[in-house]
Amino acid sequence: MTITKGAQRGSTRLKENEKLRVIDDVQRKRRQRKVMEMLESDNYHDDPHADLVMSKKVPKFEDNLEQRTNRNKKRERTVDYYQFKYRKNFQQLVDEDRLESEMKQRPSYMDIQCEESQLPARHFCAVCGFLGQYNCLSCGTRYCSIRCMETHVDTRCLKWAA
Amino acid sequence: MADWDSKSFRPSRRRRSSGSTRELLVKQAKPSPQLQALILDNGAYTIKVGYSKDEEPRLIPNCIMKAKSERKRLFVGKQIEECRDCSGLYFLLPCERGYITRWEVQKPVWDHVFSKNVCPIEDNPVILTQPLFNFKSIQDCIDEIFFEEYEVTNLFRCVPTDLAYLNYIRERNFNKRHACVIVDSGYSFTHIIPYINGSKFVRAIRRLNVGGKLLTNHLKDIISYRQYNVMEETYVINQVKEDTCYVSEDVKKELLEAAKPLSRNSIVRNYVLPDFNGIRRGFILDPNKTESEDSYQILRLNNERFIVPEILFHPSDIGMKSMGIAEAVVKSIMSCPIEQRESLSKSIILIGGNCKFPGFKERMYAELRSLLPDKWHVNVFQPDDAATYSWKGGNALLKSQDFRNNVVTKKDYDELGSMIIQERFNNFMFDYRELQTQSKPDRDQEKFKYLSKLKSGSIFGKSDVAISIENTKDQIKVDAEGENSNSGQSEKDELSVEDTGQDVGIVKRSVGRPGKTKEVVEVVQKDIKVPEEEEENLCESIDLFPFGTNSYL
Ligand SMILES: [Zn+2]
Ligand SMILES: [Zn+2]
Repeated sequence: MTITKGAQRGSTRLKENEKLRVIDDVQRKRRQRKVMEMLESDNYHDDPHADLVMSKKVPKFEDNLEQRTNRNKKRERTVDYYQFKYRKNFQQLVDEDRLESEMKQRPSYMDIQCEESQLPARHFCAVCGFLGQYNCLSCGTRYCSIRCMETHVDTRCLKWAA
Repeated sequence: MADWDSKSFRPSRRRRSSGSTRELLVKQAKPSPQLQALILDNGAYTIKVGYSKDEEPRLIPNCIMKAKSERKRLFVGKQIEECRDCSGLYFLLPCERGYITRWEVQKPVWDHVFSKNVCPIEDNPVILTQPLFNFKSIQDCIDEIFFEEYEVTNLFRCVPTDLAYLNYIRERNFNKRHACVIVDSGYSFTHIIPYINGSKFVRAIRRLNVGGKLLTNHLKDIISYRQYNVMEETYVINQVKEDTCYVSEDVKKELLEAAKPLSRNSIVRNYVLPDFNGIRRGFILDPNKTESEDSYQILRLNNERFIVPEILFHPSDIGMKSMGIAEAVVKSIMSCPIEQRESLSKSIILIGGNCKFPGFKERMYAELRSLLPDKWHVNVFQPDDAATYSWKGGNALLKSQDFRNNVVTKKDYDELGSMIIQERFNNFMFDYRELQTQSKPDRDQEKFKYLSKLKSGSIFGKSDVAISIENTKDQIKVDAEGENSNSGQSEKDELSVEDTGQDVGIVKRSVGRPGKTKEVVEVVQKDIKVPEEEEENLCESIDLFPFGTNSYL
C-alpha cells in the first residue's frame, strides 16, 4: 500500500485533541454558503488583466448600420453608458420585482422558487464520492471509511473553519 | 377565434385604457405576410441567433473572455475560436442567475452578434427571448439599446418556453389549447412551466436554482479535490462535463459498477486534457488502446461522470434544500387544475442544454412514472435539438397573428412609453384571469403524497427500490405498487439537509495550464491492493461500505 504524503506527515495523531474541535451550526451554515457561492461563481481566479482598463480594449464591430441615412451617430454609446445608467445589483432587482408583482397580483421571482424536497437526502462520501454512511464529528461532512475520514481530516475538515 | 390572441393578454383593468392605442398599433406595424425576422435566444451562456429563414441558429458564447496568454486583447463571443491557448480563461458573463446585470459585457457581445460578419439586424424585426419575470430596469435598458442605438423597426420579446411551446404545437399540428409542461434546464436555472389553453399557468410555475453552471463548478471542485487543481479551468472542465457526464438510470447500481476494479469497470474513462499545442479540445481516450502517448495529461473520471448530473435530480446531494427536477415537475402538475393534470402528464417536454446528458430523458421518465399516479399516462418528449428548440419556435411565432398584434414598433416605443409596451411583452401567453379567479393558490391542490410512493428508510429513497433490470413500464408499476404498501413512516428526520460542510478550493496548490498542473498527491489514494475475493465481498455488501477509496483510481 502506498502511504500518502498526508499520512506520512504523521501529525494527524499528535493533533488529535485539537482536531476534535466541533464546528457549530452557525459555522456549518457559513461553510455551506461558501460552497454555494463557489458553485455560483463565474471565475475562481482573479482577472489576469485586472490592471488594464477594459473599455479601452473592447473591440469595435462594424455594424452595417452606417448605410442607413438617418442613422444618428450620436446614439452610439460608450461601453460604460448603459452600465452606469442601469446598474442595479441582483438584490435590488429582486426587491423591485416583489413590489411590482404585488401591484400586478402575479407571483414574484422569489415566489416561483421550488419548495423544499420531501425526499430523503442521500449521503455521499465527500472524499471519494461513493456512499458515505458516517458524519465527521467535527464538521459533519460525510465519509465512507477510515481512509476517507483521514483524508478529510487532513485536508478540508478544519482548515477553513475560522 | 378559439385562439389565445382572443383572450386578454393584459389584466382586464388595463384593457380599456390600452384598447384604442392597440388598434392604432396594429395598423402601423403591419409586417408583411412573408415577414423575415432576426431571432435571438439570449441564453446566459450561449446565444442562439439567426434569421427566421435559417434552418439552424448560430451558437455564440454570451461572454467576453480573457486569456492569460494574450494580454493585448479580449475575446468577445465567437472570437474565442481565435484564441490560441484557452487555459485559465477568465470569464466576463453578462448575467447573474440568468438575468442581465452587466451591461458593459452584454452590450459588446450584442455588438459582436449584430456585426457585419455575424448576423446584422438590417431592417428585420427582432424577436428576443428574456427570462420569466424579467426585471423592469433590465427591460428598460434592452428597449433603449434596441430602439435607440440599434434602431430596430420592430421588437418582440417573450420567454424561451413560449417559443418552444409554439414549436411543439406546430410540429405536431396540435391546436392552441393543447396542454403541456415545458421543462427548460439551462445554464443558470431550470424552469418548469405548464401551458394550459395556450397560456402559462402561472401559479404552477417553478424554478429550480440548478443549471449547467452549477454542475460545471461542482465538477471542477471535486476534480480539484481528488486529482488536479482545475479550479481555474472552467472552460476546459465544462467541456469535460459535456464529453463525459451522463445521467444514470439507477445511481446505486451505477455506484456498484464504479466501485469495481479498473479492469472490470465499465464506467471509468481516461480523458485527455487539451494542451493547446497539438490538442485543442480534450477527448476520451479509447479504452481499447492500451498505450497512450506520454505527453497526454490524463484526467480519470469514474463516479464523477454520473454523480454530477445527479444534482439536478437531488439538489440535496450538495446540501440544497430544494426539490429536484422530477419532484418539481410533479409539484407543478399537481398545482394545476385537477381536470388538466392527466393531460399535462401526457405532454412533458424537455428542452435546454442539460437535456444533452445521455440518459436524461430516460431518467426523467422513470422518476415521473414512479411519482405520478399509476393510472395516468406519462409521456416525456425531448427534441433532438433540445438546446435550439426554442430558437426554432421563433419562426412559428413570426407566422402567428399574435406576433402581428403584439410586436412593438419604434413609433410605439416613442409614443406609448415603457409600461405599455413592456406589458405587451410580459403578458404574452400569460393568463391573468387564472390568478384573479383563484387567489388562494392551494385551494384545489389535491393532497397527493408522492412520499408514500417511496420506500422509506433507505439511503436512496426511491432509487433504492430494487428495480431489478430493465426500466420497462410494467416493472416500474409493480415496484410502485409494492412501495405503496409499506409507506407511512415519512422521512421527516432526513429532510433537514445535512450540512455537507465541504469547503471550497482548499487545494490551492500549484496552479497553471492543464498541461502543467501538479498532481494533488495528498488527497488521492492510489494503488491500494485489495485481494480479489475481498473486493467481491465489498461489492456485494455495498450498503455497508467501504469500497470507496479502495477502488477509486
Ligand atoms: Zn470515501
Ligand atoms: Zn470534518
